Amino acid sequence: MGSAHSDSPAALFIAQKILIAGGFGSGKTTLVGAISEVRPLRTEEVLTTASIGLDDLAGVASKKTTTVALDFGRITLGQSLSLYLFGLPGQERFSFMWDELSYGALGAVVLADVRRLGDCFASVNYFETRRLPFIVAINCFDGAPRYDAQEVRVALDLAPDVPVTLCDARDVASVKQVLIALVQAISASRARSSRT
Amino acid sequence: MPSGGPWRRREPGPVVRPYAVTGGRTEPADGERLDLIAIVVATGQPAGAGDRLRLTPEHRRILTVCENQVTVADLGADLGLPVGVIRVLLADLIAQGAVAVVPKRPASERSGNDVLREILNGLRAL
Repeated sequence: MGSAHSDSPAALFIAQKILIAGGFGSGKTTLVGAISEVRPLRTEEVLTTASIGLDDLAGVASKKTTTVALDFGRITLGQSLSLYLFGLPGQERFSFMWDELSYGALGAVVLADVRRLGDCFASVNYFETRRLPFIVAINCFDGAPRYDAQEVRVALDLAPDVPVTLCDARDVASVKQVLIALVQAISASRARSSRT
Repeated sequence: MPSGGPWRRREPGPVVRPYAVTGGRTEPADGERLDLIAIVVATGQPAGAGDRLRLTPEHRRILTVCENQVTVADLGADLGLPVGVIRVLLADLIAQGAVAVVPKRPASERSGNDVLREILNGLRAL
């Protein structure tokens, strides 16, 4: 490692983080479970002012923390590289956690349900504002009306460089293609920003 | 016992409230919030020297899991403890020198693009 500190241990593997966002019930848990080893992970978050008026604390004024279950999965890609998937809690009252979860993330998948497209506006806005590369994956629920990617792109008013793809969050091959599309979008985004 | 059957939560949680194992502390002693994918490892130095900190069973379990390099999120999942609790207990052990945060690999060693290519190849090979 050539580190100045001989006592600091060298990393034996690289951990990278990808976010799975989208509205409540858009299939985040299913997607993470389809492709990765999933384990339950809780965060006991200290309530901040962000949840005042949202989390009802009436009668429990002494309650300072709230438990949030995270979708958490790990994909081991070889001996020295692990890809971690974190679901962003979809409900807006948990949006105070998004900054922390997205810190250091490579990029994000926004899962969309065409029956409730509005549910993913918050995630799209968030990643646009944070300039974090993301793609929109339309989860094709059984019985949901089919729209093509172009119609969804217009409805979400997405920038031309944001890929939109169809997927089945239950299907490992489909989810794999979504993640590949995301990594390609991240590469393209980095190439663009290094040119400017 | 209420007449409506056993008094039970939908999803029974741990008997001990999460922050009981940290002595009520919700913020790490050093105020630093370790990233979920920060990698930590036990240094092999004995903790609790000078008895500044009495190690709880949870501290000891963390030390055991940290014998191999592990991320903060994996620690939380392994031990079944919320990440906030893990951060507080880890900060104790880091302050004691018993656990160290593994520095991220320097950017020069493997560039970001190399890592992306590696991820891409890895995903395709799944």
